[in-house]
Amino acid sequence: MYGGGYIFEETKNGKPESEDQGKLKNFEAKIAAGEKIEPSDWMPAEYRKQLIRMIEQHAHSEIIGALPEGTWITRAPGFRRKMALMAKVQDEVGHAQLLYSAAETLGKPREDMINDLITGKSKYSNVFNYPAVTWADTAVIAWLIDAGAIINQVANSKGSYGPYCRALERICIEESFHLKYGHDNVVFLATGTPKQREMVQDALNRWWKPIMHFFGPSDKISVHTETLMRWKVKMASNDDMRQKFLDMYVPKIWELKLTIPDPNLKKNQTSGKWEYTEPDWEEFKRVINGDGPCNKERLAVRRKSEEKGEWVRRALMRQDEQYVTPLS
Amino acid sequence: MNLSNEYIPAVKDLIFRMADDELILGHRNSEWTGLGPILEEDIAFSSMAQDKLGHAQALYQVLTGMGESDPDTLAFGREEKQMKCCHLVEYPIGEYDFSLMRHFLFDEADAIRFDMLVNSSFEELANVTRKFRGELKYHTMHAKAWVIQLGNGNDESRIRMQNTLNECFPLALGIFEPSGFENQLIESGVFKGEAVLQERWISEISHILKLANLSLPDIDSVRPSYGGRKGIHTEYLKPLLDEMTEVYRIDPKAEW
Amino acid sequence: MKTDKTIISLDPRITREKLPETPDQKPLNELHHWQTFEVFHQEKTGDHHKHVGSLHAPNAEMALLLAKEQFARRYKCVNIWVVKTSDISRTGKEDEDIFETTPEKMYREAGGYKVMDRINKFKDPDKI
Repeated sequence: MYGGGYIFEETKNGKPESEDQGKLKNFEAKIAAGEKIEPSDWMPAEYRKQLIRMIEQHAHSEIIGALPEGTWITRAPGFRRKMALMAKVQDEVGHAQLLYSAAETLGKPREDMINDLITGKSKYSNVFNYPAVTWADTAVIAWLIDAGAIINQVANSKGSYGPYCRALERICIEESFHLKYGHDNVVFLATGTPKQREMVQDALNRWWKPIMHFFGPSDKISVHTETLMRWKVKMASNDDMRQKFLDMYVPKIWELKLTIPDPNLKKNQTSGKWEYTEPDWEEFKRVINGDGPCNKERLAVRRKSEEKGEWVRRALMRQDEQYVTPLS
Repeated sequence: MNLSNEYIPAVKDLIFRMADDELILGHRNSEWTGLGPILEEDIAFSSMAQDKLGHAQALYQVLTGMGESDPDTLAFGREEKQMKCCHLVEYPIGEYDFSLMRHFLFDEADAIRFDMLVNSSFEELANVTRKFRGELKYHTMHAKAWVIQLGNGNDESRIRMQNTLNECFPLALGIFEPSGFENQLIESGVFKGEAVLQERWISEISHILKLANLSLPDIDSVRPSYGGRKGIHTEYLKPLLDEMTEVYRIDPKAEW
Repeated sequence: MKTDKTIISLDPRITREKLPETPDQKPLNELHHWQTFEVFHQEKTGDHHKHVGSLHAPNAEMALLLAKEQFARRYKCVNIWVVKTSDISRTGKEDEDIFETTPEKMYREAGGYKVMDRINKFKDPDKI
C-alpha cells in the first residue's frame, strides 16, 4: 500500500556547498542521464539523508498500514474475502520488509528505524491514523488508498536510487492485486443490498478527507523540493499526483452511483484540472504530529509487537554475529 | 471407488473434523498477521494461515459434493455445537511460544494424516490430500526448525518451550479423539483411524523433541482434552465464531 | 501520568492485547533483529540464480525458510540460495576503472571479425 505525502526536511535551497563540487557534478550528470545510483556510489550527504527519511517513512507506512485493514482480518466475510485480506495485509508487511532493506543499504540499521518509529521520531502516512470503522472501510482503503499509492510508487520507481526502485517494482506488481481486490470488494458492496450500499457510502464519506490528504500538502505550501526533484528523489509534485488520482478514480466512483462528499468537486473543462475544496492542511499537520484519532494506538501496537517478539529474537541471536549493511 | 452409502456418515464426520480444525486454526494463526515477532516470520506465518484456510475450503468443497451446503455456509453458518474441531485449535493465540508449539503439534499430525489419506479409497479426499502435500511439508519444516532452535536457544526460550509443550500436549491428544466411526473408516479403506495416526505422531514428535532438548510429558499421566469431535467445546470457540461471522451476519442475504 | 486503562480498539485482536492507553515513550534497547542474508532465487531449472533482496535471519536454515515466503510466495521459483551478507566479497567502487576498456577489446568479440569484403574481393577481383 502507501507511499505518498512524504514529509521532507527543508533542504538548503540550491547546491550543497560543502560537497566536493567535482563529485557532485558527476553525480548530477549520472542522474540526468537516467542512470541509477547504487549504495556504494558517492552521493551527497543531503541525498542520503533525504532518501533514508523517505524510504523509512514509506516502510513505516506499510507496517502501520497493516493495522487499519488488519482490524477486520478476524471478521472478513467468507473464504474468498478472508484469504484475500490476509494476503493483502501480509503483502504490506512484505513491502515493509523490502523497504526497510532498501533504506538499510544507505547505512541506517533496521533496528534504529523501528525505534524511531515507535518513539514517534519518524513519520508515516497520515491516512493510517484514521480508523477502519466497518468492513466497508477496508474495501475503500484497499481500493482508493492503494490506488493513490500506485500513482505515487510508479512515479517513484523511476527515481534515481537503485535499491528503492527495485523494491518499488515488485511492490507495484503486488499493489495491482490490492487495487483489483479493493475494487471488487467495493463493487460488491455498492451493487449489493441497501445495507451494503449504506456501509460503503459511509466509508467513502469517512475516507475522502484522508484520501485528499494522502498526496501531501498543496505545492503552494510544500517545502521547497527543487533539489530533490533534480536528484530524482521526489518524482512528481503533490498536486500533480492528486490530479492524476482524481482523473482516474472519480469517474469509477461515480459509475457506482456513490456520492463523493465534496460539493465543489468538478472538472474544469477549460483547464482540464479538477477543482475541489482545499483540504484542511492544519488538520493534516496536527494528525501527522501525533494528534489523530489512532496515532497512539498504532504506535502502542507496534511497540507491543516488538516487545512480544523480543524473547524469540534474542533466543536465536548469536553473540559473534556482526550486523553489516545489506548490499543492494 | 464409489463410496457405499453405509459409509457416508463416517466419511462426512471425518472430513468435518479435518475441515473445522483447519478453519479454526487458520483463523487463529491469521491473528498474528502484522503483529508477528519479526517481519520475515510474520510473512511466513501468515502464508501458512492462508494455506490452512485453503485446506478447509477444499475439504468443505468435498462435503458440498456429497450433498452438504457450499463451503461458506459450512464454515460461517454453523452453530458451535455443530462444529467438530478439537480443543487445541480453539485456544487464543497467546504468546508466540504457544502458537508455535500448537503449529508444530498440529501440523505434524496433519501431515501424517494427509499422508495416510493419499491412498484413501475415497478418491475425492485422496485428491485433496495429494494436492496439499507440498504446503504441509513446508509447514512441518518451518515448525520443526523453530521448535528445535528455540529448544536449544537460551534458558528463557527453552523453559518457555517446555512449559508450553506441557500445556499443549493434553490438548493435542484431543486431535485423536475417537469419532465413533473408527471401525467403518478402517473397514471401508478410507482412513486407517485415529489410533494409528496418534501412534505415528508420537513417534515423529518424540524424535524431533529430542533434537529440541525438550521432554514429552508422560502420555499415561495426562488426560487428553476430548469433546471437540462431539461438539463439546472450550469457552473460546463461541466468541471466536461470533467474531468470525460478525460481518457475515450483518446481512445474511447479501453477497460479500 | 500513567494510568491502568487499556486500549479498547476497533480491532478485537488489539483489545485482547490489553495495551496501556499511555504507552512508554522510551526506545527499546535490544531489538535483536539479527544479521542479514542476501537471497538468490532460480526461477526455473536452467536459469542462473538471481539476486532478489536481503532479509534478517538468525542462521542459514531459518533464512531459507523465511526467504521462501518473502521471495517466493507469489512468483515462480524452484530453488533458493542464501548467503550471509558479511560473507560476500565485492569489487570496490573506486576500482570501477578496471572494467573500463573491456568493451574495446574487439579481438574477443564475434563482431571483431569481418572478412566478407576480403572474400568477395578474392572471388571477384574486378568488382568493386
